[in-house]
Amino acid sequence: MSPHENRPREDGLPEDPQDMKLMIHALVDGELDAAAALAVERRIAADPELAAEHARILALRMAVAGVPRPAVSDDFLARIAAIAEVKGSGEVEAAPADAVKAEPSARPQQQQGKVIEMRPTARSLARRFSSFDWRQMAASIVLTAFLASGATQWLMVENAPDSFAVAVANGHRRSLLAATPVDIVSSDRHTVKPWLDGRIGVSPPAPDMAKDGYALLGGRVEVIGDRPMPALVYRHHEHLITLVAAPQQTGGASVPVADDLSAGGFLLVHWTDGAFSYWAISDAERPALDDFVARFRAAAAANPAAGSRG
Amino acid sequence: MLAARFAEVVLPHLGDALSLARWLTGNAADAEDVVQEACLKAHAGIAGFAGGNPRAWLLTIVRNASYTWLARNRPRAVVAVGDLADLDNVSPPPDSNADSPEAALIAKANSAAVEAAIARLPEAFRETLVLRDINGLSYREIAAMLGVPQGTVMSRLARARSLLMTDIGGRHHEPA
Repeated sequence: MSPHENRPREDGLPEDPQDMKLMIHALVDGELDAAAALAVERRIAADPELAAEHARILALRMAVAGVPRPAVSDDFLARIAAIAEVKGSGEVEAAPADAVKAEPSARPQQQQGKVIEMRPTARSLARRFSSFDWRQMAASIVLTAFLASGATQWLMVENAPDSFAVAVANGHRRSLLAATPVDIVSSDRHTVKPWLDGRIGVSPPAPDMAKDGYALLGGRVEVIGDRPMPALVYRHHEHLITLVAAPQQTGGASVPVADDLSAGGFLLVHWTDGAFSYWAISDAERPALDDFVARFRAAAAANPAAGSRG
Repeated sequence: MLAARFAEVVLPHLGDALSLARWLTGNAADAEDVVQEACLKAHAGIAGFAGGNPRAWLLTIVRNASYTWLARNRPRAVVAVGDLADLDNVSPPPDSNADSPEAALIAKANSAAVEAAIARLPEAFRETLVLRDINGLSYREIAAMLGVPQGTVMSRLARARSLLMTDIGGRHHEPA
């Protein structure tokens, strides 16, 4: 194709004309170091065909840069800025009163559920999200006050069934106090599982139970003792449920759901299925937590291949 | 504190966020909805933002939000993962320098024509082109965002540009 194609190269640039074009793109994009850029520029100077390609790429970049960008309207900017303001003020004010105010608008929308087929407008989305977050924020604040009081200390000592449960509770509590309870935000198990696999080589089944009222928020890595363990975070109304999955050394036998446990003021459910020993913890009501566990076990059993021990 | 961080990290890049969402969803009104959802996620996750390029961070969230939105609202528009792999295996078009449009023609193309040509690009190429030439991310940032090697970013970008050149240039030869 090019008359220079078979001439031996001494500049370390690719022989293949297509690869050489990639180098020109990289030059235009400022991705080459000084030496490589110089070498490519020399080749361009010596080869009219490459020079024409270079000129076309530059022209195209100019043309694309000339495409008008969507304007950020003042209204939209204000709406986005309000996300931080609404939530930010919740951090300093006593939120419960506002949370109650938010109830009437939040309730009907939650109950409508599947009825909302029409696409909600950005405004209604904002309202729904912000009202939800008010409620969650309020729950966190009450929880924080509770944890800060001496009551926690007493509960921990009184109920500590074993250090593992306490560690699970501590992890859950930290996640409630943190700005985000998850390390990877995704409602898609196809995102969460590979992320966990990539981090620690283990991922539990992560069934999608949004239709049952348990939305998968994401996952995080919990370090308990000296072992990193995958944790999934589900949301049930305003409550978060953390599910820690400890890989079983022996595997195999299923162990029925343990008796009511609690640690750190949270309810805990512990059971073993297949390759994992599970700890579900939440500040939700006992029936809700039990319901979650039953549904999770059913969903995981229906698709046992979904879990991997890496 | 968080509000200040949000204002500093997210707000300056709303234009980029809207433009990416617009190219991925195909229209400006949907883009606002998608960006709003993305900003809610960004606010929730801002404590986890460890520094680096805030624009790349926000755009990653916008991209995810766009595909979530597309899957929910326009399931048929979402390209399957298998299709993406196939796209990378497509051999480059025959080298047609003889009749390829000249730089001057491309530079003269009006922005409506360029816009239409970008919109016609296959999803994976369009996404890469927009991230690089409109949002100004580096190859490394794009590779991290898409979860593909930098070489794939380079080849997609080259394919995208080459398709655009042919499209825009070709149109100039035709009577409008």
